[in-house]
Amino acid sequence: MIEVEGLTKRFGATTAVDDVSFRVEDGEVLALVGTSGCGKSTTLRMLNRLIDPTEGTVRIDGRDIMQVPLEELRLGIGYVIQGVGLFPHWTVARNIATVPRLMRWDRARIDARVRELLELFQLDPAEFGDKYPAQLSGGQQQRVGVARAMAAEPSVLLMDEPFGALDPVTRAHLQDEFEAIQRRLGTTVILVTHDMDEAFKLADRIAVMDTGRILQIGRSELLLREPQEGFVRQFVGLDDRALRILSLHGVAEIATPHKVEGWEVLDGAVVDQASGRRILPLAPSDTLREAASRIIWEGADSLPLVEAGMLVGAVRAEDVWRVGRRA
Amino acid sequence: MRRGRAIGLLIAAVLFLALALQPQLFAPLLALLNDPGQQIIYDRQPLAMLVLWHVAVVAAAETAAVITAVALGILVTRNRGGDLMTLARTISNLGQTFPPIAVLAVTVPIVGFGFEPTFIALYAYGLLPVFENTVAGLRGLPPATLEAARGMGMSKPAILRQVELPLAAPVILAGIRISTIINIGTATIGSTVGAKGLGEVIIAGLQAGNQAFIAQGAILVALLAIIVDGAFRLFER
Repeated sequence: MIEVEGLTKRFGATTAVDDVSFRVEDGEVLALVGTSGCGKSTTLRMLNRLIDPTEGTVRIDGRDIMQVPLEELRLGIGYVIQGVGLFPHWTVARNIATVPRLMRWDRARIDARVRELLELFQLDPAEFGDKYPAQLSGGQQQRVGVARAMAAEPSVLLMDEPFGALDPVTRAHLQDEFEAIQRRLGTTVILVTHDMDEAFKLADRIAVMDTGRILQIGRSELLLREPQEGFVRQFVGLDDRALRILSLHGVAEIATPHKVEGWEVLDGAVVDQASGRRILPLAPSDTLREAASRIIWEGADSLPLVEAGMLVGAVRAEDVWRVGRRA
Repeated sequence: MRRGRAIGLLIAAVLFLALALQPQLFAPLLALLNDPGQQIIYDRQPLAMLVLWHVAVVAAAETAAVITAVALGILVTRNRGGDLMTLARTISNLGQTFPPIAVLAVTVPIVGFGFEPTFIALYAYGLLPVFENTVAGLRGLPPATLEAARGMGMSKPAILRQVELPLAAPVILAGIRISTIINIGTATIGSTVGAKGLGEVIIAGLQAGNQAFIAQGAILVALLAIIVDGAFRLFER
């Protein structure tokens, strides 16, 4: 758990971070969002003391970070930055092994851990372990960067625009991958981003910052349903808030498990018996945003939900609309 | 490309060794430069011996210069090196702007003739390229890499040893190469104050109007510079 209280950083006459307080529970992902220069990166960098706070306290798992020896503190916190910062003169395997080596793990344990992480991030250890960063694509470098930060199983991971420099397709892919890994390992994450979509996709809670202050902090849906007047409203963007709210929910939440009439599973697809049309069914991992899009496209009142080749329920349009509707 | 360089280096080395160890082989060729009857091969000292002395004074001065300049370069690129930077730059610039011959003139009265004044002149002359390249190499590192190193919990000495120096090494090495090459040539003036070296052959040639002496001294110095340059370049990659 991370507890931040009254955190302030002044550079000369300017206040970069102004009395910021928040808590992040174990396993939670908090996104700090805002425009450039709003103080979000400075806030993040005070958590591993790359910048020392002017005022305020930070406790990680109950320990005041000013009381922990600097290197020990940082070894226990994963850190991912934009531009990755891989060591160009070391192989991928050596890069990932950085923190375990600093912690003096034995060789066999390090090797096993490196292999495990490469596999986790879908990089073949035999192929990539001995490559140098310059031989990798941007997406692969970023994967290695995240793997390196997670090498010593830190309980806390700080990420500063981790996927910022990637093309949209690679970015989306890496976000999915990261989300799955984070859920599995239960790592506590603080993510700095200016990309609202990224925040909604990855974070449990979002803090909107401007001119060094947190204007509003709360669960993603709260920010969409009840944004504060002014900057937050403008930054969150309300034009497609219904769709964004839908993207925060999975189809499994509202699927009706009753016996479904009128559909038939045929070679993996679902056939609508009335019209004879083949419908691409929803899967349990789909969001309601995807469901809404398909419902509009098919012109249907409901769509079949298929799990492992079995028709398990239906998602009704009216239920989808209700989730996205104002309270 | 690399192969061609290695072959060129090999040819230079063979020529150099032949001229230093068996100068007689080149006597017919060098004789073309002289009037009949003039001595052709310098014989007051064996050429090989002079080569060793030449290499020794350059190596000694260069080693001292590299240690000083790299240490200074590291020192001024640490966080609070701003004022130190100006001072270090002034000192190393002074070494370079002061002509070595003037350094000799100043130091001879203090330390006497021979090896010492030459050593001091070459040392001062060799500082600047190494210092400047060390600073450029350390300042030119990708900021993200350093930030990552700090953020992951590497200590300052560990970052210097494991990240900064290895990454800056090619630039520093280039500085050492340039400095060494300059000093191989500059070392010839040491002979004016009695230091043993290849300059002795050239000066004897100048004094006696003996073109062959000048040629064999100059060619040996040039080949030595070419070989050292090539060896550094092979090593830099």
